[in-house]
Amino acid sequence: MTSPGDAPPVKPPPSFSPGVPRVASKARYPDQRRDSSPALGSTSDLAGSRINTSPTPPLSATTADLPIRIASPHARSVRSITPQLTRSTLGSPLEGRFEGSEDIRSLIARAFSPVVAVYASADTDELVRQKGFKGGFWELIRPFGEDVHGKVVIRDIIGAGHGWEDYGVHFVDLGGVVQNRSPGQDSSPLAQVEEVLERQLNSADDPLVGSVQPNDVLGMPSTSSIYKFFLRQLLSASPVSSHETFRHPVACVIAISSRNTAPLESLRQLYADTSNGDKKMPPWVHSEFLRYYVLVHDEDRDDITESTKLYDQMKRHFGLHCHLLRLRSNQCVVTDDDSVRVPECEWLSPSEHLQGVGQTDGVPYLFDSDVMAIKTFVRELVAQSVIPFMENRVAVWNDQVASRRRGLSGRFMSLSRRWTGFGAGSRSSFAGSGSGGVSGNYDAVHGFYKPDTPEAILRKLADFAFMLRDWKLSASTYELVRSDYGNDKAWRYHAGAHEMCAVSMLLNPLAISGKTKLETVDQMLETACYSYLTRCSDATNGLRCLTLAIELLKSRGGSATESATRWAMRAMDIGLVGSIGQILFSERVSACYASKVGLGSGVWKQGSRRRKAGMWSVFAADLWLKNRKPALASASLEEAERLYADVLDTDGVFPMPEMQSFIDNLRHAIRVQYLGARGLDTDEYADDSTAPLETQATEETSEKLDKRSHRRSLMGIPNSTDPGSLNPPPVTRENETPSHDDFERA
Amino acid sequence: MSYYFTILSPTDAPLFNIAFGTSKSGGDGIARFRFPDTAQYMNQFIIHSSLDIVEEAQWMNGNLYLKHIDTYPPAQAYISAFLTPSGARFLLLHQPPQLPSTSSSGGNTGSSSLLGSSFSASALGGGSSGRASSSSIAANPTAPQTEEAVRQFMNEVYENYVKTVMSPFYRVGLEIKSPVFRARVTAAGKKWL
Repeated sequence: MTSPGDAPPVKPPPSFSPGVPRVASKARYPDQRRDSSPALGSTSDLAGSRINTSPTPPLSATTADLPIRIASPHARSVRSITPQLTRSTLGSPLEGRFEGSEDIRSLIARAFSPVVAVYASADTDELVRQKGFKGGFWELIRPFGEDVHGKVVIRDIIGAGHGWEDYGVHFVDLGGVVQNRSPGQDSSPLAQVEEVLERQLNSADDPLVGSVQPNDVLGMPSTSSIYKFFLRQLLSASPVSSHETFRHPVACVIAISSRNTAPLESLRQLYADTSNGDKKMPPWVHSEFLRYYVLVHDEDRDDITESTKLYDQMKRHFGLHCHLLRLRSNQCVVTDDDSVRVPECEWLSPSEHLQGVGQTDGVPYLFDSDVMAIKTFVRELVAQSVIPFMENRVAVWNDQVASRRRGLSGRFMSLSRRWTGFGAGSRSSFAGSGSGGVSGNYDAVHGFYKPDTPEAILRKLADFAFMLRDWKLSASTYELVRSDYGNDKAWRYHAGAHEMCAVSMLLNPLAISGKTKLETVDQMLETACYSYLTRCSDATNGLRCLTLAIELLKSRGGSATESATRWAMRAMDIGLVGSIGQILFSERVSACYASKVGLGSGVWKQGSRRRKAGMWSVFAADLWLKNRKPALASASLEEAERLYADVLDTDGVFPMPEMQSFIDNLRHAIRVQYLGARGLDTDEYADDSTAPLETQATEETSEKLDKRSHRRSLMGIPNSTDPGSLNPPPVTRENETPSHDDFERA
Repeated sequence: MSYYFTILSPTDAPLFNIAFGTSKSGGDGIARFRFPDTAQYMNQFIIHSSLDIVEEAQWMNGNLYLKHIDTYPPAQAYISAFLTPSGARFLLLHQPPQLPSTSSSGGNTGSSSLLGSSFSASALGGGSSGRASSSSIAANPTAPQTEEAVRQFMNEVYENYVKTVMSPFYRVGLEIKSPVFRARVTAAGKKWL
């Protein structure tokens, strides 16, 4: 079963397995707490109370756990002194793993994983259904494909190997690929994404908000889980289309079971179906994909010697791309000794979410041996068949098609092409010969290139390189081919090539981040956007393009974050995102600005964007409130306070009166709505808690008023008592010593 | 074109605020921002956030007038800044009137009113004056003519500001309440913007 040349199983990537982060975070947090608490000194008791009051479940907590903490100057100074502490204690243990730009980059890279179609015989599906998986073999193996066990080594075009911990493939139902075009047109994918988001927010009011809220508070390097959810939805929303081959199957798993009476014949039949039967691919899909044959052996009922014999026969017939998968056919229940919970699918498309694919009534369980068998199978499939196949194709296509174009003569040809394109009306005379401005390969009526034309192959080469994470090759190939699409007026291809060219440039860790480079990227994004939105009116891909741009530019840091915010505002302005998307993007703009760190320190810090970040967080809070999500709103507002802490006086009063009153009103409204929601949930709370809370609220405001009149009176002091004094500030400073500390420490 | 002019003290406290509209080419001098009347705090938020850029841009060259430094794209608000020796800063937010054509592409109007991308009432109100003033400086907030006009305005306000601050009845750091100053700023706005 285990393959001989297999690398020893490395521990699963941190971004996947549900067990690991929990352990890691547990290990991390006590450390940090220990580290930071001595430094706190006198304020540690305050911090301690924060640790006690703030952890996750907000609705079941005591009255001390207000959505907004009492905004006393003390609490604020604690917050600004110990961002580290608040961040670590507030993080929910589940999501508290390392999160940063790498996380998002990995998510984006995994979104563009190779697609492997699954086509199982009826008897195999029957066997799997007995185990409790209604969708058959595909549903059984699907979650395991998203997380290939261990490190996957991929060679790039030069032959240098890179190991990826987080590699995966997407298993799809072959039938789904074939007829993907007809269904799903009832509502646009974007509307579906929005609906799913809405549903997710509403349905999971208690548990999810609990996990979302603290995560939002985590601070600038983190990404809220709801935003990641949105990102995953968006990236898996676009249907199979002709202009990009990411969703075209790279391989097809053909499965039969040991129950089959005529195994070889049925394998042949299945193969025939995939190439020209009713499961034939649409004409724009390259028909040359890998076939992988699987024999599912029923451990409980059938004889292994028979199956081994059959498997040997299969190997003789079909070559190396075979696997014997030994599964038990009995259904596994929780109470069994070695039951393992089946992982959840990470990459469900929005329409699947709406159909409720994810929520099966009973959580499926599998035997440990089954899980091991499937994991081994997936690893062998990916590491020994799919990736070598793709590497091989990339090398061949690069050799045969791309390098010819890249060479000197190729350049001349494209140059001459371009000139004839400009030349007065000479296009039509050249069109048929393939050397004119228009290649003639584009089928304008149906809107696609045939899969064997050089343009389509180049695109496929670039996509393969992208999926193999050889972003340098993919960027150069997209660049090679993008002008051809423009000449042919294949606008969707044109947009896609520009989009992916920019994305692979940004993903390539070695690419230069110079100003000119960023400008070319911006230019390409602009073109892609224009082509998607104006020429094709394809909002889904347009939004995907912009979102990818935002995230990757943000992860670049520096001046790239500025253009990330520009694209985010653009997306909001065009109206690509719905009401919830609008909020998420506002939060994202805030995160972008917050991630821009300035040079120097303290007041002399240059180039940070704290005020802008704070402003966008406040807007996000306001929008959450308008969408009746007070818990999320309070999280955003708290984030805003954290961001503003550096730029405001330590008493946290905005210098501008209207801003201050707006924020006060917002805070109040959030509290009212939050208590309202809670009062509806638990009646016994409402009577007990609202009264003291009200007094607390009034206390707080009065305190604030105090503060301000205090200031004004301070300003008045020199007038009356000490008219000669030039500097009233020292008085203020004495009164606000914590501010002074903060000021120096920040 | 609508303007919101603010003088900020070195500690970011506002010393003086005024909102006015263009008086050129038939404008009536009344500000019509793209936010609803209840959302006037937006101007302050935008100005406050642009301080980030002011702090960066003030070291970039030797001029007191920093020209157009920042934009808030959702509301097409443009910020110009001017530095004074005492550390006070003049910030001018200018917002071209909403053209009828842009309001149609605004998408979902209801939810985005906060972001100011499309506020229908001001679109109606500002639309007529927008067409009238399309030939003046209001047409393009980043054009050299606009920069020049704003510079003239800033210089005139600066001269008046210095004289106001020199007044024995004014104490540094307090709000400027002088009606004479306000009238002069209004006059400068009428003259240049």
